[in-house]
Formats: sequence, C-alpha cells, structure tokens
Amino acid sequence: MDLNLLAQALVSGILAAGLYALVSVGLALAIGVIGIVNFAHGEFFMIGAFLAYQLFVSFGIDPVWSLLLVAPALGLIGALIYTSTIRFVLKAPELNQMLLTFGIGIILTNMALLIWGGDPRTIAGIAYRSIGYQVGGVSIGLVPLASFVISFTLVLGLYWMLARTPIGRAMRAVAQNRTGAALVGLEVNRVYLVAFALSAALAGIGGVMIAVIQSPTPGVGLAFTLKAFAIVVVAGLGNIRGVLFASLFVAISESLVATLVPNGDTLRNAVFFAIIFAVLVWRSRRVA
Amino acid sequence: MSAPAAASRAEARRGPFPWDLLGVVVLAIIAAFTPDLLRFVFDRASVSYLSIASNALSLAILALSWDMLARTGNLSLAHAAFYGAGAYTTALLVKHADVPLWLGIPLGGVVAVAFALLLGSFTLRLRGIYFAIATLAFAEVLKSVVHHAPTDFAGGNAGMNVPALFRPVFIAGEMERWEVAYMRNEAYFYVYAGLLVATVLASILLQRSRLRHAMTAMRTNEEVAGVMGVRATRVKLLAFTLSSAFVGMLGAVEAHRVGSVLPEQSFSVATTVLALVTPIFGGLYTTLGPIVGAFGLSSVQELLRRTFADGYLIGYGVVLVLTILFMPRGVVGTLGTFFRRRRKGAQR
Repeated sequence: MDLNLLAQALVSGILAAGLYALVSVGLALAIGVIGIVNFAHGEFFMIGAFLAYQLFVSFGIDPVWSLLLVAPALGLIGALIYTSTIRFVLKAPELNQMLLTFGIGIILTNMALLIWGGDPRTIAGIAYRSIGYQVGGVSIGLVPLASFVISFTLVLGLYWMLARTPIGRAMRAVAQNRTGAALVGLEVNRVYLVAFALSAALAGIGGVMIAVIQSPTPGVGLAFTLKAFAIVVVAGLGNIRGVLFASLFVAISESLVATLVPNGDTLRNAVFFAIIFAVLVWRSRRVA
Repeated sequence: MSAPAAASRAEARRGPFPWDLLGVVVLAIIAAFTPDLLRFVFDRASVSYLSIASNALSLAILALSWDMLARTGNLSLAHAAFYGAGAYTTALLVKHADVPLWLGIPLGGVVAVAFALLLGSFTLRLRGIYFAIATLAFAEVLKSVVHHAPTDFAGGNAGMNVPALFRPVFIAGEMERWEVAYMRNEAYFYVYAGLLVATVLASILLQRSRLRHAMTAMRTNEEVAGVMGVRATRVKLLAFTLSSAFVGMLGAVEAHRVGSVLPEQSFSVATTVLALVTPIFGGLYTTLGPIVGAFGLSSVQELLRRTFADGYLIGYGVVLVLTILFMPRGVVGTLGTFFRRRRKGAQR
C-alpha cells in the first residue's frame, strides 16, 4: 500500500468534508427546526453556483465577492419559497411535504436547464484556482483548503448561534415543541422563516464554492441533495451537531474508495448510496 | 317499506353493481378500436398519434403500478430500479441467450419482482421519509452497479441495443411506406393496452378484496394495523411484488420499443418522478386516479415538449406543487367531493 496515496486520500476527504458539512447542516436545520424534509435543498446550492457563474461572466465579479452577494440572494429566495408554499403544508401529512419540496426541486432544476442549458459551466481564468501547496508529498489546493476553512467556520458559527443567541435559542425551543414555544410567546412562523432562509443561504454559499472547485451542471443540485441526505441520515435526522462528524465519515469513505479501488472514481456515488442504505437498514433492525 | 331500502337490500344480496369491471371492458373495447379510428381520422399522421397514445398508456401502467405499493403507506422512490431491471433483463437475454424475443417481457417482470422482494425484505421496518430515502439509495446503487458491470456483459455506459419486437415487412405496390411504421406502432399499442388492462384488473381485484382494508389500515398506522391482525409483512411484500411485476414488464417492452438500454436512461430518476407525480395529480390510492392523471399529464407533456426542448419537465414540477397546495386529493378526489356536495345540495 502506498502510504502517500493513502495520506492524499485522507486529506482530500477531510477537505471535502467541510463543504459537505456546510450543505448538510442547512438541510439538518430545515428538518430539525421546521420538520420539513427538503428535497429541494441541493437546488439552492445549484442556484448559488450558477449565480456565482453568472455574476462572474456578466459583471466580472470574483467568486470571493460573490459569496457576500449570493448568500443574501439565496436567503431571499428561501424566504420567498417558504412564505409562498412551505408555510401551507406544515401540518399536512409527511408525504405531501416531501412531494411539495420534490416539486420545487424539479422546477428549480429545470428552470436552470432552461436558462443555462445542460453543459458544465466553468469560471475560467482565476489565478488562485491553480495554486497548490506540497506538504510532505501530499498536495493541497488553495481553493479546497479555503472552502474547507470557510465552511468549517460557518458551521461552527451556526453551532454558536444555536447555542448562544436569542434567535438560536428560539429555534431550539421551536424544534423541541412547537406549541410550547408559541405559548411562551415565540413567533413560531417567523422563526421557521428565518431558519429556512438561513438554510438556503448556507447552501448558496456552498454553491459558490463548488462553482470554483468544479464545473457544475444543473444536475449538481440533485447530486448534493442526495449527498446531504446521506450525511443527515448518518447523523440521525434532525441532529444538527452530528452533521460535522457524519460529513467527515462520509467524505473520507468516498475519497478512500475513489482513490484506492481501481476505477473507483466513477463509483463515488455508489459509495454514498450504499452507506445511506446500510445505515438506514442497520438502524431499523437494531431498534426492533 | 320504501323503494330505496328494498333496492339497498337487493344490493346487499348481490353486491354492488361492478362498475369498475364494466369500466375495464369499455376501456378495452375503446382501446381495440383506437388504432383504426386514428388511422381513419388522421391518415398518415396517425403514426405519431399512435405513439403518443402508447406513451399515455405506458405512463398509466407506470403510475398505477406505483400506486399499488403506495397504498400500503410506503412512498417508494425505487420504481425506476424495477423498470430498469425489466429493461436490462430483456436486453441481456437477447445478447447472451438464444430465446424468443417475447420471453424477455415476462422474465423482465420476474427479475423486477426478485429485486423488489430483496428491497422489500430489507426495508420492512422503515417508515415514511426513511423508507423513501432508502429506496432512492437502492435505485441509485443498482444504477451504479449496472453502469460499472463489465462492458462485454452489460454494455457499461454505452448500454446495449435491443431489437424491435415487431418488424412489419414492406411490400412494394401493396402498401405505402408509412404503413410499415403504422403497423409497428399499432402492434406496440396493443401490447401496452393489454398490459394496462392486466394492471387495472390487478388493481381492481386488490381494491375489491379484504386487502384493501388491510392496506388502508397499514397506511394509517402500521403498528396498530399489526395489532388488529393485519399481516403487515405479507401485505407489504405482496404489494411490492404486484407493483414491480407490472413495471418490470413495462420496462422490458419499452426497451424493445426504444431500441436500446442505457444506465442513465433505464434507471433515470425521471421515471420515478413520473411514477409518483401522476397518481398524485390524478388521485392517490385509487384505480381511476393514476389513469386519469396519466392521460391528463401526457397531454400537458405533449404541449410542453413542443414548446421547450430542454427543461420541459418543469411542467411536472409545477403540476406537483399546485396539486399539493390546491387539491391534495388529486383530480378524482376533488371531483368526487364536488359531485357528492352537489348531490347532497339537490336532495335538500
């Protein structure tokens, strides 16, 4: 076994985990606080990526600055979707909620297909894209490193917000007991709105980063919805704190398979789904 | 004694009039004459109209078979897996075994059932969203496995060619060129119609049997249903079997009609999306709902496909969102409530 290769796989896995955690934590927030299983979550991510691309192509705005523009834009889109649709199915059967977000996801994907087409889009000609460092035989790209640091900081920031700030406390209260929170005077609907907008904004920030790391197509939305689901399921639905560890677990296993199994790079997705399936089935058997 | 009471007693003795079975007979008769009627009205253009009609029948089979499993309260996102299993079975048979072409269709159903029972027995204890995600994961794993199977076995990314089931011969002087295409499409149309009739019969028998109540109980609360004596495991596996058998055969027939199987196409998430949007639009947990939904959505799709090239699926998203928000019980459910209210109003 080539130790260098193993180290490289581990490092790539850890770096990827940051972005995964950022996207998944938003989904966990929607599930944990609002109780909505959002199948359209990855589409916020995808829209973030394509907004960054469009800002770069039309106005020459560097993706680093797009981060600051895309986050509020996605927050606004999330708030709009919440007030126009999600708000009405909060008490509907779970099936209806899932199907509603599924439908929203289909609309957003196909809107992107109509606007940008199905080809991959690259943000070309950014100097820092090709910068990398060598640390003892392991190469680390600047962009993945930066995305890891930004994501990690944001996720920790979210944890801090949930623990220490009034709105964070309100979210935890609403998550625990909707009626109880309303009785002690919390505006439940407003808390939900903030949580959903925040969830979308976090996904959007992740999207800007993927636009620099890869050359995304509109299909990236569904792919990341599924990845985020894998992570959230491994962490336990609604468990926001577990997301960080679950991201590490999933990202590292993905990276190890991609590197160590011959022809493994294309098997990445299968790894994700095999993990989800195994975890779900295993848990359901253990409980009973 | 009033007349209605006597009528209802007579009804109780003989059972209610089987409107549903009569409906199947009427549908079958209409289907039998559809190709000739289309040809009479549209002449040469009937070739493409027949193929649109086949698409609608195919969507109805897809939707109704999905609904049969949904009745137990399980939202499956693995329908594309069974469809793809059927498609690949017939393609593999053609490539590796010297058997008659038509044999791939029943065997496609059998293989789909095998996968469904495998998935079903693993996911027995999963509920709601967990079940949905697990089935989606299963479908994606199966897609990846097919994708990465040895190329000389299953064709890999490029897929495999599948020969057509019907090859009408062109006889110069006796018929025109387009009639060859017409005869081929006509033959496929009858295959789809036959499969749909079989699916509808299965669905009706299910609805008329005691299983209907077992399924409704499971949908409401599986634990309670179990306590009341519903053999939940058996019912669920039976629903998996019926649901996958028909969609597996459908996948096999479509493989022959399209002429190829590809991992991305045969196991496409879009198939699953169609399978669940259609019954929701038409009306869940009924026989009529998915069929109404299929004919409604096929028409919408034909219109959209002509306007947009790429993202025409957006129509399905819009339909799904609007249906959930404004008529969560689907077209059939909403119309049913509407007519019942009117009848009550008339009595008063």
